[in-house]
Amino acid sequence: MVDVLETDVLVIGGGAAGTNAVLKAADRGAKVTMVVKGLLGKSGCSIFAAFTPYFQKTDEEIRRNRWRFMIRYYNHYLADQEYCARMEDYMCTEFYPDLERLGVYWRRDAEGRLEMVQARTRSLVAHKQGATGPILMDKRRREIFRRGIPVYEECAVTSLLTNGERVVGATVLDYRRGRFFVIHAKNTILATGHSDYLATRATGTREQSADGIAMAVRTGAELANLEIQWWHVSDVLEPKSWMRYHLYPNPLMGTLETSRLYNSQGEMFYEQKTHSPGAAAPYTEQLRRLALEVAAGRARWDGGYHSGYDHIRAETINTYQHQAKVWSKLGLDVGKDRIECGITWHMRHGGLNVNAERMETSLPGLYAAGGVGCHYLGGFGPASFDGKVAGEAAADDALASGRKPFSQEAVAVEEKRVFGFLRAGSDGPRPIQAKLRIRQIMWDLGYVKNERNMQAALAALQAVREETVPRLRLQSTTRNWNTGWMDALDACAMLDACEATVRSGLNRKESRGPFYREDYPYVDNENWMCRNIVKRMNGEWQSRTQPIQAPYLPPEKSREPFFEADY
Amino acid sequence: MSPSLKQTTEPDKVRLRIYRFDPAIDRAPRYDSYEVPHTPRMRIMDALDYVHETLAVDFGYRWLCGSKKCGTCAVNVNGSPKLACWEEAQPEMTIEPMDNMTVIRDLVTSRDPYEAFLAKLQPLVIRKREYSGFPEPLTEADVASAVHLRDCIQCLACQSVCPVLQQPDSGFAGPALLVALSELSQDPRDEGDRAKMAAKEAQVFKCVSCYECERVCPVEIPIVGEAIEPLKRLAYREKSTPGARRAGAFLDSVKKLGYVNPSEVALKTQGITWNGLRLAFRMALRGKIRLTDALFKRPSPGAETIKTTYDAGESR
Ligand SMILES: Cc1cc2nc3c(=O)[nH]c(=O)nc-3n(C[C@H](O)[C@H](O)[C@H](O)COP(=O)(O)OP(=O)(O)OC[C@H]3O[C@@H](n4cnc5c(N)ncnc54)[C@H](O)[C@@H]3O)c2cc1C
Ligand code: SF4
Ligand code: SF4
Ligand code: FES
Repeated sequence: MVDVLETDVLVIGGGAAGTNAVLKAADRGAKVTMVVKGLLGKSGCSIFAAFTPYFQKTDEEIRRNRWRFMIRYYNHYLADQEYCARMEDYMCTEFYPDLERLGVYWRRDAEGRLEMVQARTRSLVAHKQGATGPILMDKRRREIFRRGIPVYEECAVTSLLTNGERVVGATVLDYRRGRFFVIHAKNTILATGHSDYLATRATGTREQSADGIAMAVRTGAELANLEIQWWHVSDVLEPKSWMRYHLYPNPLMGTLETSRLYNSQGEMFYEQKTHSPGAAAPYTEQLRRLALEVAAGRARWDGGYHSGYDHIRAETINTYQHQAKVWSKLGLDVGKDRIECGITWHMRHGGLNVNAERMETSLPGLYAAGGVGCHYLGGFGPASFDGKVAGEAAADDALASGRKPFSQEAVAVEEKRVFGFLRAGSDGPRPIQAKLRIRQIMWDLGYVKNERNMQAALAALQAVREETVPRLRLQSTTRNWNTGWMDALDACAMLDACEATVRSGLNRKESRGPFYREDYPYVDNENWMCRNIVKRMNGEWQSRTQPIQAPYLPPEKSREPFFEADY
Repeated sequence: MSPSLKQTTEPDKVRLRIYRFDPAIDRAPRYDSYEVPHTPRMRIMDALDYVHETLAVDFGYRWLCGSKKCGTCAVNVNGSPKLACWEEAQPEMTIEPMDNMTVIRDLVTSRDPYEAFLAKLQPLVIRKREYSGFPEPLTEADVASAVHLRDCIQCLACQSVCPVLQQPDSGFAGPALLVALSELSQDPRDEGDRAKMAAKEAQVFKCVSCYECERVCPVEIPIVGEAIEPLKRLAYREKSTPGARRAGAFLDSVKKLGYVNPSEVALKTQGITWNGLRLAFRMALRGKIRLTDALFKRPSPGAETIKTTYDAGESR
């Protein structure tokens, strides 16, 4: 018999969203249990956060700039504006005190004033730009352990359990020891993030295989805007593992200058300061400009262009930029040398379709917080806000309601699926090869999309599903940290998530932000300023759209050519 | 300013001997050999990934971030702990799990003892009175002595080489934990009895100052000089009477400025020698309990100043 653990609230994922969900649900008095596929506070993209936005309500101009950034440049009018208003309140009142209380030091100057990035929108850093995420996550990690909340680390949730109507927990595989168990919960919060390792070059931490999206697909939850998938331009090309190092294009601490991009002729083709002064995170604009360079043969998606800070005083970079060490480690001089870059599949705007009030998904009993949701592109602060809202809502509801049974049969089916991959032999493909193939398919699909290449990607994914997955074989059937076994489960999740993503892309008939379709090369606010929703019910894909209201900041034009838009 | 790439002579191939051991199945560890092509600027992790992708598809190794942020990828390479995602691949590498740790499988070791010990040290700022709200009065100088300690990514490389930890049941916390404890003890906001923790729970005096930990730290933290020695001094001084001069200098500084000016405190305490400055600086940080008493327990001229500083920070 499979062990069953009982809890009020189950939180899946140990990033900014999951950690805050756990803490806030516990504050409400609920019994909380946490499962993290990686290590708590050391997995997921939360540790990559370079800095955190400083929201000030007192300065009207800065506030206006922040709103314009949030709605137009960062979310391309796909953010829920009511959500943004609530999140802004949280950022002004709770986010910083919560973390400072735990001992985070936000950088001050010699007089004790907060040091800020002096751009149109302000940001703060926890001691250095680039070092912020790990420091914030470390404090949250320690606080969760201090409170004695049960945390299952290096355990992957493999499926959501339902009773036919409601999500009532999940099945878990502890891959350190190969133990399979059930967490039976009154409410479940999915917080598995949005930076997944789904393409050959990607930012996501190693374990991130879009499990949350895949489980949502399999359970029939609605997913919105999955196709709004960011590629990031200024990431280190070599060594390979360092593709996760961003050479930040954002406004920098200590200088008004920003990093620059140079094509293969050495011509500068992008800097935030000049080309997108209103955007504090100018990734999509960088991408569009790189696309022009690639089309002109002056760069490739995987190299042939460079980024650097050599026009900025090295001392400034060394004082404020954590990543200055990338140069020194490679034997380069940050004041002189540039680094060759390639694009990486970065993070997703969309995710589970959730409401802004309570972070409820389309399935009762299931909440989604942070990157795996769909309100906002992300950020450590917004993900924390989601966690708080979901944690409190899920806890309050759980404390007021009874426990619903789960289906034993579903557990048995899932156990069979999970252990079915634990078979050895030399007569079949290896799980990691399936993963590499899926990543290659998504890399080949890349940034420039059209009906044809998306259909081709779908067909290629289908081939992996039908021809490769059923034949997967491992070298060893050990249950102790069997990397191949995890790879097999990851590959299945990646297939579901990638298929949903490409289908969602086929449905959106326009271009917007990081989503570019050659066959629809214009931004169409009249028809596509909406949540583009897909779900799979009994093997059938369904779709619909849900309009997005713009009560505070409507778009200026209803339609404009993609390459003329600045957002 | 050319987009110069450093020309390096990189080998064609990398030869790895990897430690393989599954406690559930194997009676003893063995070493498997693999040869992989060298890729540009290759890291140790890139070589391990290649082995995983082609030759030993289910061998156990751990990494998460690939960019020196999570601290989970450290392994022994040719006998010395290295952060796999950070250090360059060598043409010949014998790769083993780090020492002083229990193997889960192959290169993966358990971090549980470290976490359990960390929890005993109450590793968050201990506050005896209400947190005053964001941003609390602090300057860069107040926290500067611990600036390098904040870079610790808990990779445990230092723990793996510490000779004291090699003694069974040494009771010694080890360098990584002392880094965490020392950072807190140097935080002017912390009001925990860190001296007692350093002496009793962490047993800081067991450290023999061999500098092994510092030698292997991938983020180059001056562990002995900036974490352990200040802790030892703290634990030692705990027994002696606190200096009246120091307390006086604190109050003066606070009254005048509204925050601790360590150099002023140092000046008044020690005179202007460089060593004196350094020492007094650390003392300043240690005097924090009295300082915060002065600031928050009763109204003081300093409190007004603090408020002004705070307001100035807010309205920027
Ligand atoms: C490179 C980069 C730079 C960024 N820079 C900034 C910045 O400067 N400032 C800023 O504010 N934001 C920044 N962001 C955005 C921000 O980091 C994210 O939006 C936010 O941290 C997302 O948090 P999350 O909790 O939703 O997800 P994540 O932090 O990704 O956490 C996901 C968690 O889910 C776990 N998980 C996954 N699958 C499972 C499973 N099956 N079972 C159990 N657990 C599972 C993972 O192990 C992980 O712990 C950046 C993002 C990236 C990628
Ligand atoms: S200096 Fe101290 S802590 Fe560091 S390795 Fe030597 S004995 Fe251990
Ligand atoms: S002090 Fe250095 S070696 Fe030790 S855990 Fe921290 S980063 Fe690793
Ligand atoms: S993989 Fe995170 S530090 Fe090496």
